[in-house]
Amino acid sequence: MKQTILNPNSARQHIEMVDRILAESHPRLCAGGDFFVVWGLASAFITVLFHLVNIGMFPARALWSVPVVLAACALYSVIRARALRPTIVRTSLVQREFFNVLWLTLGMAFVANVAAFRIFSGIASAAIWSVAEAIVLLYIGMHGNRRAQIAGMLVVVSLAAANFVAPDRTAYVLAAGMLAGYAGFGISELLAA
Amino acid sequence: MDELLLSKVRLGVVAELLNYDWVAFSELARALEVTHGNLGAHISKLVDAGYVDEEKTFVNRRPLTRYRLAKKGRDAFAAHVSQLASLLKEA
Repeated sequence: MKQTILNPNSARQHIEMVDRILAESHPRLCAGGDFFVVWGLASAFITVLFHLVNIGMFPARALWSVPVVLAACALYSVIRARALRPTIVRTSLVQREFFNVLWLTLGMAFVANVAAFRIFSGIASAAIWSVAEAIVLLYIGMHGNRRAQIAGMLVVVSLAAANFVAPDRTAYVLAAGMLAGYAGFGISELLAA
Repeated sequence: MDELLLSKVRLGVVAELLNYDWVAFSELARALEVTHGNLGAHISKLVDAGYVDEEKTFVNRRPLTRYRLAKKGRDAFAAHVSQLASLLKEA
């Protein structure tokens, strides 16, 4: 490569331009508010449904709605993600890292639910999803999203609260955390957009 | 100094790509406030030198070109900025 010299004045201008560009580049973390709304509602619904079936309010066959809801959410996520992809003009390195964290966290929660169902039985399986949702929200919060910080804390608080309330209310408290934290964050992102 | 990065537009392109995985051509032109023709000429030099990766796709039958900073470009940028800083220190 041919080497050339730059005068100090031009060098200063170049450095200032680089500084300005880097200062203005604030890679924003978001996966789309609607994803959070859909999955927040679904997780709260499933948590409450399992509880209602456990106490005999709903028949066991109502649990067949769970795979249907999960499949619908997954289908929506895939279709929406494919539709969104071409409209994204910038994909930051932080965003790519976030997707890795998102899928690893939710994937591990899914594995814990399916592969370790004897360990995480009953309400513990719902709590696993709360932990996963809290990690995702707090990760977004760590990158400067105040709403995600608050939402993540809400989910964590719901987890701790669920541990101490009467056993017949545990599912409702966890579901409230999922709704207020995960779905609530999604709604706030949609409103902010 | 790296001759390729002595151009303000090309240095700007590399700086814009630094924190991003992929950036669309139109977004780069908007951010750097340059015409598409001007940017195209500069960016093709960066692509030819292996500083920047190019991806051409079609979205709704319209072409979409995106760019990503390659390792060679990242290393060249770091060395170039370091040399600029040294030059300013000496001046």
